[in-house]
Amino acid sequence: MRERSNIRGGLCTAALLSCTLLCASTAAAQEWTTSLVDVHQGSPLSDRARGLGNGGYELQSGSWVSFTRWYHANWVDMHIDLLTQITPDTGILWGFGTGEQAEKYRIEPSFKLGFLTQIHPNPNSTLSLSVTSVIGGNLTEKPCEADYGDLGTYSVNCRLAAGETAPEETLKYLVSAKPETMHLWLNYRLTF
Amino acid sequence: MSANSLKFGLAAALAILSAPIASAQDALSPDEMAALCHGGGSICVSATIPVSRTTQAVQSWMSPDVGAAWAAGYKGKGVTITMVDDFSSTSRFSGNFGIGVQTQRHGEWTREEASMIAPSATIRSKDFSTGSYVPLAGGLNVLNLSYGMYTTAGYSVNQIGWAPEEASIISYATKGSAIVSKAAGNDAVAVGAAINGQQDYLDLALIGKSTAIFAGALSTNGTTTNKAQLAWYSDYAGSNTQVQSHFLVVGVEGDKTGLYGTSFAAPIISGYAAIIGSKFTKATPVQITNDLLNTARTDTLANYDPSIYGKGEASLSRALAPVAIH
Repeated sequence: MRERSNIRGGLCTAALLSCTLLCASTAAAQEWTTSLVDVHQGSPLSDRARGLGNGGYELQSGSWVSFTRWYHANWVDMHIDLLTQITPDTGILWGFGTGEQAEKYRIEPSFKLGFLTQIHPNPNSTLSLSVTSVIGGNLTEKPCEADYGDLGTYSVNCRLAAGETAPEETLKYLVSAKPETMHLWLNYRLTF
Repeated sequence: MSANSLKFGLAAALAILSAPIASAQDALSPDEMAALCHGGGSICVSATIPVSRTTQAVQSWMSPDVGAAWAAGYKGKGVTITMVDDFSSTSRFSGNFGIGVQTQRHGEWTREEASMIAPSATIRSKDFSTGSYVPLAGGLNVLNLSYGMYTTAGYSVNQIGWAPEEASIISYATKGSAIVSKAAGNDAVAVGAAINGQQDYLDLALIGKSTAIFAGALSTNGTTTNKAQLAWYSDYAGSNTQVQSHFLVVGVEGDKTGLYGTSFAAPIISGYAAIIGSKFTKATPVQITNDLLNTARTDTLANYDPSIYGKGEASLSRALAPVAIH
């Protein structure tokens, strides 16, 4: 039987990095081994960016503008997570994300850093704690240049250019999002 | 015609442009808004109009284009539409803009229609029987003229001694200081043509003016699969290219509202102009007029011909859309 609880919290990045470095320095004399923990493509921000590509509108001439061409990325953000074991019960979690971009958005490359530690309250149980932090990986939507003929040329939110919102107002609705920057994971395993 | 100038006798010359199908009925009692419109001032702000039922709802008589274009955002905010119309006579008739049967004066109908198309616009009511000067509000102004000024055909426009009301309106259209949406007329003739020895001199005076738009009526809202035709009563653009280039048509679906006539085409154009003005807040009346004219659709009309449909069917969504985007 296994029980698990996840806590995602807002511990500050500085504290996490200090802790990680402290753990690393105390184990520097030992032989470290690094293992591949996870490889995956996509993220909540990738999904969100892809969702921006749904829809479209007609230009004044009647020609259809599909959002797909602006929000289709040829490469989906890939994340590689690694664990460098420092002691039998302590390791550094680290990894990176490649990021992705299309014509009208960009997800920055990201770097993940954290630690994993575990204790054994009794021979049949293990309590694990890991904390990771992500640097970078922000999603930023880019504006378009919209030509309204005699009414002028404006920098606009590409998706809202044909609506009723004033061109300059549409910029308020450009997507700017950060990934989950701090992840705290607590696991208790009982074997019987 | 020997007279050097002709002063309109307003009682005789004003003609509201709702088609005869809209039957006039006697009023039971004047409403509050009408009372405010009586007297010398003759400008009434629409604050007392019970518009809560009418706002933010796309009705079946509206173009599907309106529903498509209405997204979160402005719907005429910051723009003033002045309805120059009948707000004081005892003539009333029944109709239904989708919010229940009502019996109202002509101006109350056109005002309601404009407020339903552009619910965030400020609507002002100017009773046309006073003949007094029409002031402009701050910001963008749209003037709705769902009436004509008829008298014996044969005069030239400069022989007409306009009342301050029409003189100010013509001046605004000439200078480009307000958009003027004018009902084309319900005689099934070309704009500016005489019928039974009578002529709409207000039409004539607005021909060639930079911000004048003549509004003709289609019997339905057009789509590419169900193309619309000019309503049987509507005046058409005719062979004058100055009229053609400032003539738009919109659906007036009287079978749904009981209200027919180019009187009910002009407020749709007025509402569209207000919505465009609320998006392009720095645009001039000339620019907005041209935007409406240049984005009119011809592919939604049966046998499009500029001498009938002018520039075509007004398209709000296209008027709001970019020419190009990258």
